[in-house]
Amino acid sequence: MRAFDSRRLALLAGLVTLAVVLPFMLSGSTLTTATFVVIGAIAATGLNVLTGYCGQISLGHAFFLAVGAYTGAKLGQDKDLSALIWIPAAGLIAAVFGAIVGPMALRVKGLYLAIITLGVVFIGQHVWANADGLTGGPQGRTFPAVQLGGFDFSPGKQLVVGSVTIDSTGLYYYLALLLLAGATLFAYSLRGSRGGRAMIAVREREAAALVMGVDVGRTKVAAFVISAALAGVSGALYGSFLSFAQPEQWSLLLSIQYIAAIIIGGLGTTAGPLLGSIVIFALPSLLKSLPFLPEEGTGGVSVGTLSTIVYGLLIVAFLVAEPRGLVGLGARARTLVKNRTRTSPVSPHLPEEALT
Amino acid sequence: MSSSKSLSTAAVLVATLSLAACGTGDATTADSGGGSAPASGGIKGGPGIDVAAKTIRIGDISALSGPVAVLGEPLSAGRRAYFKQLNASGGIDGWKIKLTTKDSGYQPQQHVQQYTAVSKEIAILNSLGSPTTKAIQAQIDRDKLVTFPASFDSIWGADPQMAPIGTPYSYDLANLLDYYVASVSKKPKIGLIYANDEYGADGRRGYDAAQESLGFEDVGQLSYKTGDTDFTGQVQKLKSAGAEGVVLVTTPSATGPIVGTAASLGFTPQWLLQGPAFLEQLITKDGSSGAKATPVAAALKGALVTSFAAPWGAKDVDGMADMIAAHDKYTPDQPPSIYYTVAYAQGKVQAELLRKAIAAGDLSRAGLLTAKENLGEVDLDGLTSNPTFTPEGGPPSTKSLITQIDPGVEGFLKPLEPAHGSKAADGLEIPES
Amino acid sequence: MTEFLQLAFQGFSLGCTYALIGLGFVVIFRASNVLNFAQGAMLLVGAYLISWLAVDVGVPFLVAVLVAASLLTLGGAGFQAVVLRRVTGQPPFVIAMITIGAGIALVAGVEAIWGPEQRLLGDPWGSSSFQVGGVTIGWVKLWGIVVTAVAVAGYFAFDRYTRSGLAIRAIAGDEEATLSVGVPVRRMHAITWGLAGALATLGGLFLAGFPGAPQPTLGDAALRAFPAIVLGGLTSPVGAVIGGVVIGIVEVMTSGYAPDWTGANFYAVAPYIVMIAVLLVRPYGLLGRAPAERL
Repeated sequence: MRAFDSRRLALLAGLVTLAVVLPFMLSGSTLTTATFVVIGAIAATGLNVLTGYCGQISLGHAFFLAVGAYTGAKLGQDKDLSALIWIPAAGLIAAVFGAIVGPMALRVKGLYLAIITLGVVFIGQHVWANADGLTGGPQGRTFPAVQLGGFDFSPGKQLVVGSVTIDSTGLYYYLALLLLAGATLFAYSLRGSRGGRAMIAVREREAAALVMGVDVGRTKVAAFVISAALAGVSGALYGSFLSFAQPEQWSLLLSIQYIAAIIIGGLGTTAGPLLGSIVIFALPSLLKSLPFLPEEGTGGVSVGTLSTIVYGLLIVAFLVAEPRGLVGLGARARTLVKNRTRTSPVSPHLPEEALT
Repeated sequence: MSSSKSLSTAAVLVATLSLAACGTGDATTADSGGGSAPASGGIKGGPGIDVAAKTIRIGDISALSGPVAVLGEPLSAGRRAYFKQLNASGGIDGWKIKLTTKDSGYQPQQHVQQYTAVSKEIAILNSLGSPTTKAIQAQIDRDKLVTFPASFDSIWGADPQMAPIGTPYSYDLANLLDYYVASVSKKPKIGLIYANDEYGADGRRGYDAAQESLGFEDVGQLSYKTGDTDFTGQVQKLKSAGAEGVVLVTTPSATGPIVGTAASLGFTPQWLLQGPAFLEQLITKDGSSGAKATPVAAALKGALVTSFAAPWGAKDVDGMADMIAAHDKYTPDQPPSIYYTVAYAQGKVQAELLRKAIAAGDLSRAGLLTAKENLGEVDLDGLTSNPTFTPEGGPPSTKSLITQIDPGVEGFLKPLEPAHGSKAADGLEIPES
Repeated sequence: MTEFLQLAFQGFSLGCTYALIGLGFVVIFRASNVLNFAQGAMLLVGAYLISWLAVDVGVPFLVAVLVAASLLTLGGAGFQAVVLRRVTGQPPFVIAMITIGAGIALVAGVEAIWGPEQRLLGDPWGSSSFQVGGVTIGWVKLWGIVVTAVAVAGYFAFDRYTRSGLAIRAIAGDEEATLSVGVPVRRMHAITWGLAGALATLGGLFLAGFPGAPQPTLGDAALRAFPAIVLGGLTSPVGAVIGGVVIGIVEVMTSGYAPDWTGANFYAVAPYIVMIAVLLVRPYGLLGRAPAERL
């Protein structure tokens, strides 16, 4: 493991402070967006373990989000249990499904795996649409607000700490931030661990990993289980924050957004899932408020359509310019700065975490 | 080292949260919030109300991109045209309307984000769609915001904050079947094709109620999914079952292929279309009269439709001339659509509501809600069926406008009966959501 | 029996469209290991171009199809040459992600230009049809089958008898070795994208034909073709065609005959269930081949 130098530490401290004070700097709608970003980043962190560390591409993430969301709804609303129970349970049940789907990766590889997990999403949607008792059927169902001891996250509730007031959106934000911090720490320490190194070995060359004595099957299934568990937790929070969802929503598009987030953030990196989630989940609403776009509803081409075009083109342009993602971009900037400050040219190096 | 640092940061955060307070409390809703205190002319203000400038801001969260834009665009355009026309004619007692339009792309997540962006600065909200509006319903109830859903799901009748207009899908379908069964000599065999979503489910409620009350033979209820391209299976099943009437609780992108497939299989039942199954573009190229006909136009001729708005350009509808004038002046590029008419009519209801609230001197959210609950019947000059608002809630209207598709007339819909009611519809209950 | 034959015909016709779409996927994947998620958007653009040329510009329908196909061929090849060439050698999912971004922009672009309403295709067949032993044969369906057959035959002739076809097969076998014997690999990649563009135009044409219509969600059908290409194997053109036809028939047959206990709309997932079952038995599809792996 690499030791943190003081600059990195300062940066980390700055980021954490920023994340904590953010709700006081943002307007209501931007805070809502930020909350969706943080909730999304939890699931992205999970997918990053599977795809970034272990090299297994899954388009099935939406399925595990749905499993988590419906577990939360069943236990939190129908059985009226505390969020202390249903949030971990959502992760647990999703992990069980991860263990069921995971072994497929033992037979099927690469883009074939991507497509087979895409099949899981479609089959999942079929089940959700027909399991009326659990999901409300095609009409959808409501999801419970988080209840944590004395804390009630329903809309209209608020927490007053001295002179500071945190509304229900803020509460969701902090809860999601805590869980994201936990997930990130876990993923970070996983990479240095034996299991994490096994995953990276599987990613780099499966046959070689096998020769080195890595239990490839167990490693892949473990990655699926971790990825699904984090997706489940994220899905439970997502459903709860959204308060209502239909089976249609757990779609391939949702899965693609998570893949996009980790690729754009930087595959296999620690900060990648969060950075990518910011781009993927916040950009569409930010783009709609670009100054040069006409105001919505004044006729002509809709701003939503224009911003979607820009969104698509940005993904293309960005990945062409920097296929290693935002973290890669950061590395490039650092190299640039170093080259300028030192007299002798330094060969550009990547942070060891970045995937080449 | 690093882990312990972050852990301790997290611990500090938890500690702050849990030590400083033992729990959450109710937010003190500053009901008259939004800036202006009760002032000039004795009118009490509220969010979205500028008493000094005499303006009222109305919100519209619509779908202007993505697959539902085909409905969202005419809805938002009709609303815009109505309020521009209203402002140009002096507004409501000198009060002018400002409209804020937002695009959610019909995605619940975006809808929630747009709602939080506008909710504090508007007096009334228009919200497109069932799943999207359900995602913000809890917040609407908390904010005490009077909301007009652009969705005819019957569940809205159960929420006091909601001001739906039009007849709910289930009532419409029961009325349509009642009309059809009465028009044929013996009990017909009827089948149903429905979209597998909440719209289809509400239609099914009406179908089942009508079947029980009218006693026709139900030969099959078949569903399809958004994005399907081939409907031969469903059509073939109903053809083999000998259906004489086929009800479509579908969207236009499925109506066309279903009717077209049936026609090419030589299956020509009496088509019974739930309102949203119809769209002017099913008949001609751009939905205007005289334009090039589509390949399914001939097969759709004679179909019965429960239109939720008067056909475009209908001469005998009192309110039509004003609307067409507004369309030609303010939104000339918008193709004709019954959705445009619905939104225009909703605008009229909102203007009536505001007029009542201004007369009562209370434009706060509580004042607007009181005005809505006591609005009674609003005369929409035949554009849609007149809604009735009472403190008890319930469906705003239980009667249906029965029309027949006729490519030869303006708007392609020939009115058959303006307000058809039925025992089956009267027996329906508002489902708990 | 008539009912069965009718469903079989409709399934076969739908399957031909899937075959066209699937072949578009395979052509690219075989040469460059790229899964083109923009295929659906490309067929949407193809259908709209045809509709625009035939209805608004007013050129004869055949000309509209040829011009649209040429434009998409150029567009596909151009996209490869200008954009994808810069990311050669990057992991396949990064490139797949780029195609997803391009697809998102294309679909929104179609909406921005032509609006969200459905349009007329401007084809000469419309709803016309004829009967054979009680089975209705729509002219547009029949032409779909004929054109698919011609396009597939044309592709295989290209693959077998032209230098480019040979070069592409060689690249599919071993790219580095092919490069070392002087084959312009990059140009070949651009050619495969051009071919995919032309195939997408034809797929879009028949998807938007009666009883359908050009509308913004048309491209979603490409997702339904995924099971088809996987069934046959991502690297096998023959597999894509067979897979397409099989999946089309499975979809329509299950919509006609699936028992109630399978739930509403079982036909929409039936192709995926077939796909997963096949992949678990044969991980590279029925006709695909496993890449050689060095230790």
